[in-house]
Amino acid sequence: MNALEVNKLSCGYGAKEVIKGVNFCVKEGDFLGIIGPNGAGKTTLFRAITGALKPWKGNVLYKGNDISGIEPRRLAREVAVMPQILEVPFAFSVEEFVLMGRFPHVGRFGTLKEKDYKILEKSLQLTDTASLRNQKLPELSGGERQRVILAQGFAQEPRLLLLDEPTAHLDIAHRVRILDIVRSLNKEFGLTVIVILHDLNLASEYCKRLLLISEGRIHKSGPPEEILTYKDIEKVYRTIVVVEKNPISGKPYILPVSEEERRRKRD
Amino acid sequence: MNKKRVSTFFFLLALLGISFVLANLAGGSELKISKALYYLFHPRASGIERDIIWQIRLPRVVLGLLVGAGLASCGVVFQGLLRNPLAEPYTLGVSGGAALGLTIGVVLAASGFYLPLFSIAGALISIFTVYVIASKRQFSNPALILGGVILSFLFSSFVFLIFSISRSEDVHGILLWLIGDLSSTETQLIKIIPFFILPGIASLLIFSRDLNILTLGEEKAMHLGVNSKQIKKILFVIASLITGACVAVSGIIGFVGLLIPHFMRRFIGVDHRFLLPASCIAGASFLVLCDALARIIIQPLELPVGVITGVFGGIFFLGFLLKSKRWEIF
Repeated sequence: MNALEVNKLSCGYGAKEVIKGVNFCVKEGDFLGIIGPNGAGKTTLFRAITGALKPWKGNVLYKGNDISGIEPRRLAREVAVMPQILEVPFAFSVEEFVLMGRFPHVGRFGTLKEKDYKILEKSLQLTDTASLRNQKLPELSGGERQRVILAQGFAQEPRLLLLDEPTAHLDIAHRVRILDIVRSLNKEFGLTVIVILHDLNLASEYCKRLLLISEGRIHKSGPPEEILTYKDIEKVYRTIVVVEKNPISGKPYILPVSEEERRRKRD
Repeated sequence: MNKKRVSTFFFLLALLGISFVLANLAGGSELKISKALYYLFHPRASGIERDIIWQIRLPRVVLGLLVGAGLASCGVVFQGLLRNPLAEPYTLGVSGGAALGLTIGVVLAASGFYLPLFSIAGALISIFTVYVIASKRQFSNPALILGGVILSFLFSSFVFLIFSISRSEDVHGILLWLIGDLSSTETQLIKIIPFFILPGIASLLIFSRDLNILTLGEEKAMHLGVNSKQIKKILFVIASLITGACVAVSGIIGFVGLLIPHFMRRFIGVDHRFLLPASCIAGASFLVLCDALARIIIQPLELPVGVITGVFGGIFFLGFLLKSKRWEIF
């Protein structure tokens, strides 16, 4: 069954159309990566999928229902969203912050029960943040912060996880750590994952399927081996690359070629 | 609720009790403290001294409690919704808007129940205006505070304009009252104001969990299941209602909504389920103590309480500006 269906979606800001008629489906249990150059419309597409941006044309269906018609609390029990930027102006503790993920289940008047605290523990444990529970959010490092935001998303007990560049501004160890957690959520708990990634090599390594976006349209979609070819990358990103095979995983990996090397080759 | 929070609440309640008694003992008239204490706990006694306590001081103290709790809770809510710790009814110009509304109400000879409606309308219009201005600048400190200050100037200019062209006797009383004063003699008004402030605070408390989540921003709050736009509107309306009611009885009392939540966050944390009630109790105590101070500091004269909160708040505000790093302000 399709977890998510995007039909003839067009949307944008003001008078500018950013996404121009996009169609795709995501099956339950899939791990879909959205890639594409800066300004291709990845985040715009993402915001339309989360329901934050209203489509101009077409629609987004979650399990067959139009996402804009689903009441926020009901949707939040099914879909967790990790935005690219999350500013937290007040110093909530990690535990308080993660427990906010229980809101869709508990509501305004309900009290947190044993079950909620169990899920809190599980979320902290899965994201390796249990030792941070009493720390305040502004005190955390970038990597810790992203793990805590992920823990909050897991506490929602969603079926679908939407992530917009969860590894931006992190070093290579933390990138791998975050995506390892996301992969385990996908494999062990069967969560469907849609993730925007900037780093093509990480996308190749972790995603089952990729969606290459170019100028508001889908350039190509399929498994990493079919998408990450030098022809497609050079066409969409307008830069010269070399694609090799990762000797460990067998997945494609992309090597950039500098201007200087390009000239030397030509001469 | 952890132990620290429980003991903080005990401390705050004790402080409230002490402030209540102290404020009833402080005053200009020649009334011995022991006698005042006696009459405070013997309401059925008779005589002029009993009347001073029960008909003059006590209503004023109760008014102070209500207004203090109201302003502090509005501060918490505006700060949470605008995601900015400098927001409060006074700095946002909401109190100023309420004052203008009230002045118009007085000129139109509205009275009793209708008068607070004018100040509430004024408060609503100004929070809407500030919100629109600040939203164009991502709710940054300068946009919010400058917007609020400019609005306050504008509103007080209009108040003075009305003051200058109106010959109504009533309007002249407004000038002093604009500084923020709890010595209102409008008994009719004092009787109805709790029916605005208390249900207002109670309904804010209902939304404290939503408020926690709304501090993460409208979009993230929606993803966590809060109907952001709707809840924000509801909370802005309730907070404006409380501010409007407070201004109707006591004028523009500044900085209570800034100082109290700031210190309460340190003692009780940022979770609004505890921060809101704690700020209400602390705000109530703070304002009646300030008012007591205002009554005795230059005896036999009395200061408007707004002068006292203005001095405390101004010093704090300056300290904040000097201490904070550039990026915190801009």
